[in-house]
Amino acid sequence: MSENSVNIIMIEDDEGHARLIEKNIRRAGIANHIRHFVDGTTALDFLFNHADGPSRNGPALILLDLNLPDMSGIDILGKIKADAKLKRTPVVVLTTTDDKLEIQRCYDIGANVYITKPVNYESFGKAIQQLGLFLSVMQVPEVGDDA
Amino acid sequence: MTITDRSFQRLVRAAMTVGFALLLIAGLTMVHAVGDTARWTASVVHTYEVEQTIGRFSILAEQLETARRGFIINRNGASLQTYRRTMHDIPPTLDRIGALTIDNPSQQRRLVAVRREAEIHRASAHETIARMEDASPAMQAMADFGVDRSFVAMTDLRRLTQQMVDEEERLLVLRRAAQDRAGLSLYLILGVTGVLMIVVMGAALWVVRRYTTGLNASQDDLRTLNTGLEDAVAARTAELSRANDEIQRFAYIVSHDLRSPLVNVMGFTAELEATIAPLTTLIDRVDAEAPALMTAEAREAKADLPEAVGFIRSSTAKMDRLINAILRLSREGRRTLQPVAIDLAALTASIRDSFAHQLGATGAEIDVGGPFVPLVSDRLALEQILSNLIENAVKYLDPDRPGRIAVTARREGPRVVIDVIDNGRGIAPADHERIFDLFRRAGSQDQAGEGLGLAHVRALSYRLGGLITCISRLGEGTTFRLSLPPNLVDHAKEPSR
Repeated sequence: MSENSVNIIMIEDDEGHARLIEKNIRRAGIANHIRHFVDGTTALDFLFNHADGPSRNGPALILLDLNLPDMSGIDILGKIKADAKLKRTPVVVLTTTDDKLEIQRCYDIGANVYITKPVNYESFGKAIQQLGLFLSVMQVPEVGDDA
Repeated sequence: MTITDRSFQRLVRAAMTVGFALLLIAGLTMVHAVGDTARWTASVVHTYEVEQTIGRFSILAEQLETARRGFIINRNGASLQTYRRTMHDIPPTLDRIGALTIDNPSQQRRLVAVRREAEIHRASAHETIARMEDASPAMQAMADFGVDRSFVAMTDLRRLTQQMVDEEERLLVLRRAAQDRAGLSLYLILGVTGVLMIVVMGAALWVVRRYTTGLNASQDDLRTLNTGLEDAVAARTAELSRANDEIQRFAYIVSHDLRSPLVNVMGFTAELEATIAPLTTLIDRVDAEAPALMTAEAREAKADLPEAVGFIRSSTAKMDRLINAILRLSREGRRTLQPVAIDLAALTASIRDSFAHQLGATGAEIDVGGPFVPLVSDRLALEQILSNLIENAVKYLDPDRPGRIAVTARREGPRVVIDVIDNGRGIAPADHERIFDLFRRAGSQDQAGEGLGLAHVRALSYRLGGLITCISRLGEGTTFRLSLPPNLVDHAKEPSR
């Protein structure tokens, strides 16, 4: 993550949440480029088809919310993990749902980290900043690298 | 039962009473008639006896006369023997007639004449025999015979006894007629009684039959009604259960969607709060270094900002708690139930022990002595229900009297009914339904709580196929009544679900 080439792709329908997440990631000292999508369709299009997207260009890390207006985040997760190129891309599920079954499902499909957004902002901020610290030491594989 | 039925019943009762009274009268009359007949029969027998005795007397008198004459003719021992016997037998026979006809003055009168004539007869016979024995000239005796008073006496005796026999014959005719009448009336009474008996028995049979038929019909009705009721209860429970499921889903979705904006509200409030400190410092600096630039609004803003943020934070904190409560409720509703055999006594005892600390302070007591019945249900859900109910009972005890809480269970038809009874402050009738609603509470708000417990209890009850109701009087105490299917497994298998 130390290299700026790793893009952070945030799929989050709530603009406020997106802003708060970005702020707190920056507070943790992460300067990587963050691309924000508010719905599943455009996010998937970017992931699989866009020239700057991870399947064509460079490693990425995905922050995924499960409650999206046009589809469930679980569907997006499934598509990423089923794709030969994108399956190693780390996905951090960051959502309000703290339902046990939902969490189990996400890990079963292949989510790398599952974080529940705490409503309490102090906890929220702390959680995101810790995620930022975690991201800063995390190794992200090259997309499509079979080695 | 209808009015017609009631008046009919009264009529039947009256008719039966009259019937049995008539039967009683008939029986008494019959007893009387039988006595009557027996009396008349006895009097007829009596008359025959009188006639017979009179006859015997006549024979004795004739025999005496014959013996006398025989003795005059041949003086043999046989005549003398007959003479002695008849002489001896006549007085007791007359006494007997006297005794038999004591109730008949006319016969008594005649008997006096008979006695007189008989005495003359006997005396003259005695005289004749005595003379003969004295070996007086036979001719003397024979001469005497022609003028003997005995001849007249004998004629009189024949006439008198005939009269007596005639009198008895007359009486006999009368008595036989009376006997016949009595016999006839006895037959008549017997016949009437028989008919009456047949009528009353028939009526009784008819009434019994009618009631039996009616009873059978109403039993059938009752059975149908019961079955209908059970179906209705099952349908209602299924309906409630479906409605509950829907509410659970709704609550889950809503609470999730409410959470997202709340994250923003809280997040940006925190960001806002973070800006208060630099702003305050800035305003203070301006106030100190360049008072000319300072405005009243800026000073006010400095004071208002922390206050506004404080209110936003406390409100969002509360909203967060409520949403979490709804979430917990909905999550409970989604949990898979695990029906197991439950030892209610042990379960309630363990719940009681968990309240031991709170109880110790107030001196209240929880009676978990039962009685209890076997039950197969979800242990966790039932524990939460009972725990909530007992917690409420403990919380809302009346401080003016020693607290008494009891848990009982019993089988009521196809359901198990568990009561949690307290003598606490009670709940006003208007609140009996309301208290089960989310965030609603009753009475003075002097205890901590969000108004979740009973909503939770109700949701859990529905999930277990049960119903929860509240029976309470303000100031006297409350009973929460939980009615459950005895076996959750069977209940879940029912086709109505």
